[in-house]
Amino acid sequence: MLLAYKAALASPRIRAGAIEASEFPRLADEMEVWAVPRIVVDGVPQWDGSVPEPVFIQRILSATFG
Amino acid sequence: MAIFRPEEEAKIRDLFGRLERPVELVVALGPEETPGHGARDVDFGAETVRIVEELSSLSDKVSHRVGAEADRYPAVFIRPEGEEVGVRYDGLPWGYELGSLIGGVIEAGRRESSLRPESLEALAQLDRDLAVDVFVTPT
Repeated sequence: MLLAYKAALASPRIRAGAIEASEFPRLADEMEVWAVPRIVVDGVPQWDGSVPEPVFIQRILSATFG
Repeated sequence: MAIFRPEEEAKIRDLFGRLERPVELVVALGPEETPGHGARDVDFGAETVRIVEELSSLSDKVSHRVGAEADRYPAVFIRPEGEEVGVRYDGLPWGYELGSLIGGVIEAGRRESSLRPESLEALAQLDRDLAVDVFVTPT
């Protein structure tokens, strides 16, 4: 979670939100959250689990351009 | 019931003591006054307010207020120097995820990002807006 916050604080282009899955079950269901953390970029589920910083940055940026 | 144990409180106080700029925590509460229905035995909104109150009591650089509007609630916005920069937590930040909120405050309190230079270079190339949501659970 912290990497998403750091990215949002470092870039005016990025916003980052943590969503407590059990409190928003309908949204979690829409995003097919079975494991956490589940990372969603622009409303599209990307991957589950914590990853190192370079991987996180590369993945959110490639989700943009991919 | 206290939110932090004395040793946790001391640690957070120490971490917040290193903040280089003020951080504001703004809570969005929904129209619904809890306690809610069924098995919900916690007033999520009131508990969220209690957490940010307690956090802001641990540092004169951290402040809080209730008043933002949000599509989901309760929500907490982390605002460096009171500026809305799109950093939020939706839901009650408890358990393990309280650490995310605290980590967010610490990062927001830094004048320079703690990300690696390579990461910052990559982010600087971004030419469109990006919304990153991370689904979490408290345990």
